[in-house]
Amino acid sequence: MGRTSAELIDLTLAQAARLVKDRQVSPVELVDAALERIAAVDHRLKAYISVFADEARQVAKAAEIMTAAGHDLGPLHGIPIALKDNVATKGTRTTAGSKILSDWKPQRDATISTRLRQAGAIFVGKLNMHEFAWGGTSDNPHYGAVRNPWNTEHFPAGSSGGSGAAVAARTCYGAIGTDTGGSIRLPSAINGIVGLRPTYGRVSNHGIIPLAWSMDTAGPMTRTVEDCATMFGTMAGYDPNDPTTARAATCDYTAGLDQGVQGLRIGIIPGYFFHHLQPPVLAAVKQALDTLVGLGAQIVEVDIENIHGNISAQLTIESAEPSNYHQRWLRERPDDYGADVRGLLEIGEMLLATHYLQAQRYRTLLRNEFLDAFRKVDVFICPTLPFTATKVGEMTVVIENGVVEDMLSAIMQYTGVPSLTGLPSLNVPCGFDPNGLPIGMQIIGRPFDEATLFRAGAAYQSVTDFHGRAPKL
Amino acid sequence: MSRKPSLTPAQVRELARYADLPLAPGREDQITPILAAWLEDANALSRKMSAAPYHDLVPATVFTHPSHEEGEQ
Repeated sequence: MGRTSAELIDLTLAQAARLVKDRQVSPVELVDAALERIAAVDHRLKAYISVFADEARQVAKAAEIMTAAGHDLGPLHGIPIALKDNVATKGTRTTAGSKILSDWKPQRDATISTRLRQAGAIFVGKLNMHEFAWGGTSDNPHYGAVRNPWNTEHFPAGSSGGSGAAVAARTCYGAIGTDTGGSIRLPSAINGIVGLRPTYGRVSNHGIIPLAWSMDTAGPMTRTVEDCATMFGTMAGYDPNDPTTARAATCDYTAGLDQGVQGLRIGIIPGYFFHHLQPPVLAAVKQALDTLVGLGAQIVEVDIENIHGNISAQLTIESAEPSNYHQRWLRERPDDYGADVRGLLEIGEMLLATHYLQAQRYRTLLRNEFLDAFRKVDVFICPTLPFTATKVGEMTVVIENGVVEDMLSAIMQYTGVPSLTGLPSLNVPCGFDPNGLPIGMQIIGRPFDEATLFRAGAAYQSVTDFHGRAPKL
Repeated sequence: MSRKPSLTPAQVRELARYADLPLAPGREDQITPILAAWLEDANALSRKMSAAPYHDLVPATVFTHPSHEEGEQ
């Protein structure tokens, strides 16, 4: 007892959960600290679309009473969590960052909302995002452009930009993001936090506004790998309401966090993973690899013959599927979309069915090559994206040699691979550029082997402190 | 397939008409540069994937009969 709000909000999720369990901290204190922090900083970040102050305090009081009576709902008992606003929450507004759904109040929770509540999480708010998750900047025309807490003139990436900014700014202990082409990993890297894109089919999408059905996933975004593993364990598993979920067994994802990386075989693809990226990003990821080698891991160079072409396949699928979902609204309410999303939805209507199916056949090819490569390695590591945060509002980026590139294609240079192959992928902070903007690395694993990603990430965080640094707001 | 489709805004408007998508005036000018680039890349991928070595690859889409799957939990 006796901790200040600033001290409370600086705790990791796992630390806060242990203190609640030991009755050293009350859920009411945690919620008050989170709400106080939101009030103090979110007018500058625009990370939240909705804040549930009264409801969160009521639930926190109930959680406090339960704790006093010896009841513990689960690993997230009494922990303030925020959800991306495309995840349905019963009876509360769920906008998907859009004008079209600005007044939508779902009649049911998404499956992951229910599971998080069952694990004891307290929802403090719903988070801003790129409209309908179709884009990577979170420059939202309806709810404001989300800002990066490390430098509010810069973007937080996206589409889960509110989730990334909210966690980095310590306004909640963890957040939910969704990831189709990189939308968890990109804002995790750009905001200096941990984020997991689970294996496709590992986490239910039931009750989440879709972007592209064949690639959509939902996952946790937190400050540490331990926090991420803790949250993930409450979400993962088969859901009869989502036919894409797998019956693959889940486990205690925190159990192996201290097992280290001795003998872990890390695959790298030199001609792709370390090509066409900003020098500080390259240096940080290579330094991270050196660190892991110092802990006992070994580097294995691998060639994925057909890795080139993945961005086109990604864009084709990620265009065609949303344009299908939005077909009626695009005809009835075109002016209610922001300019960029409207254009992308229009473009998706003009790609051919043969383009789409060739892209889906390419996924089979790429997945087979990666599955074959996993006989030689345990994980792959690469940068999460090739550049650090650009200024808010920019739609282009310069990566090298002064060449101006389209943001959407450039930002998915590395994240498209797990999206297309369905492989799990974890962003772990691994440095900062000379301007103090975060850099992340992406650890890619075998299907349903999220535990190894957490083990590698935890080993790295045990000897580095990038995840412990806080933006000054 | 043409290696570099020289797409014009007028052609984009025609494409939209075929898709039964009413485009507001001027929209085709916004769309054309991006669509042209994406089509070029998509056509390149189609050429690659229609080559003989990949003839037997099936799309990464699966049709299932859920009620007949085993191991319901």
